[in-house]
Amino acid sequence: MSPGLEYAVVRSHALISSLLTPDQMRNLALSETLDGFIRSLSETPYGVISIEAGGDPSIALEKIFYRKFIERMAGVVELAPGNIADFLRAYYYLRFEVLNLKRILRGKYSYMHPEQILESLIPIEPYLAGSFKALAEAESLERAVEMLRGTPYSKLMESMGLYRRLEAVWPLELALNHIYASTALRSLESLPHWDRVLVRWIVELETDVENLLAALKRRGLPPPAPLEELFPATFKIGLEELRMVMESKDLRSAISSLGPPYSEILSPIYEGDVALIRTRTRAHMYMAARRGRSLNDFGFNVIMAYLVFSEVEKSDLVGIAWGKAQKIPTEQILKYLVIPNI
Amino acid sequence: MSTLMTVRPTKGYLMELKRRIGFIERGCEFLKLKRDHLAKELSASLEILRGRRRLLLQSLREAYSALTAAYLSIGPTEVRSQAMSVRKALEVEVLPRSVMGVRYPYVKILSKPEIGGELDITLSHAASKVLGVLEDIVRLAEFEARAERIADELGKTNRKVNALENIVIPAYRQIIRFIQDKLDDESLEELVKMKLVGGALARRRE
Repeated sequence: MSPGLEYAVVRSHALISSLLTPDQMRNLALSETLDGFIRSLSETPYGVISIEAGGDPSIALEKIFYRKFIERMAGVVELAPGNIADFLRAYYYLRFEVLNLKRILRGKYSYMHPEQILESLIPIEPYLAGSFKALAEAESLERAVEMLRGTPYSKLMESMGLYRRLEAVWPLELALNHIYASTALRSLESLPHWDRVLVRWIVELETDVENLLAALKRRGLPPPAPLEELFPATFKIGLEELRMVMESKDLRSAISSLGPPYSEILSPIYEGDVALIRTRTRAHMYMAARRGRSLNDFGFNVIMAYLVFSEVEKSDLVGIAWGKAQKIPTEQILKYLVIPNI
Repeated sequence: MSTLMTVRPTKGYLMELKRRIGFIERGCEFLKLKRDHLAKELSASLEILRGRRRLLLQSLREAYSALTAAYLSIGPTEVRSQAMSVRKALEVEVLPRSVMGVRYPYVKILSKPEIGGELDITLSHAASKVLGVLEDIVRLAEFEARAERIADELGKTNRKVNALENIVIPAYRQIIRFIQDKLDDESLEELVKMKLVGGALARRRE
């Protein structure tokens, strides 16, 4: 173990203990109002949070939680030795950048004002895409995609034909998913092979679940393009399984034939609760990170576990903040949270 | 009584009044028929409205729950960003329709948003429910407007029937009776006059 890794692992152990516990998260979810939630949050390591008057408080809080997560991630990247730092940067910055690019492309597609597009972005600096501002200010979606030429996103040009044919932005979003999954897995090469297992499992699970969700959405509809084009990146769930999910008359048997963890993750679809599938995916990632950490308590898995736990914490807090702002009953909020139900 | 002072007690006027009252009574009968039909239509509409409202509330609850789940699952900014990518909006045209002469608005849906491809499955699920509810709301609003207009028209028709039955027709009958009495008096007077003249002429001949 390199001294850099040793220090990063010890720091990650310490940082994990500063994350919110299931009880703390449950108490936050039990707050009566948004003000009560912010008050309870001030008693945690998040401290006092102030949000600007006017505008949507849940959006402002979402930005704050994203910033906190990015801050934590940047802190770990700074501590980690070169190869791990490179991987983490590629993995996390790329993920958020892909999300931002999707929002920019959607904004350009629906003729949103550049200011509005920029406001909707996750507060990170561009990683590989050049300038978010320039992309948001591009005169059209086609121009924005052209501006990505020469970056790892230049493959988007290949999906422009499908975009034009279907007059829909989803082929570009799928291409971005593919670029993210393949780049993240490529960047894994920089890690020792025993450290790759957890990340590979997480990336593959994420991609497979997204593919399955896309397949479920297209159930009963004729596929608008060949499956290879619709699902450019597949891992444990191949095109045949995806075809089966799309075409099978008996969805229950199609899903149970996928086996664990997919059959368990997708089971809320039987009750028509598709949103719970994402919560279950996050819960599986959380549990996998916890298992990975317990298997190797002094290795890269600890760093990864810290970041996975932080990200799940961020998602849970965003959910609670929105739920409290909208006065959603606590039981309904708790249903879609991961940490209090672990 | 003041109206009676201005009445011309002539046979011609009596005939004109009898023609008029016949016309008014026929009109009143038609209005009564219309009132009964409107009342039947309204009570049937209210029954349907009650049922539709209950169904709509149920669908609204489901749609709201699906939307809440989508927000909790992917976060408010992502929901907004994805929602913006739906280009086509719901377009409607309001046209007039009529039932028993009662005009009410009919909402024709020209185009619906295409939500299938662009949205994440959670949001697409919520959006399809909201879209279904939106159509139900449009139909219910149209039905409510129809019931409201029918109720208005029923009120108006009822007032007209009451006015005709209790004021106009009795007033006409009174005038007719007054003219008939006058004409009877006049003819009796004429008869007496004739008798007197006849008697005088007979006495002179003797």
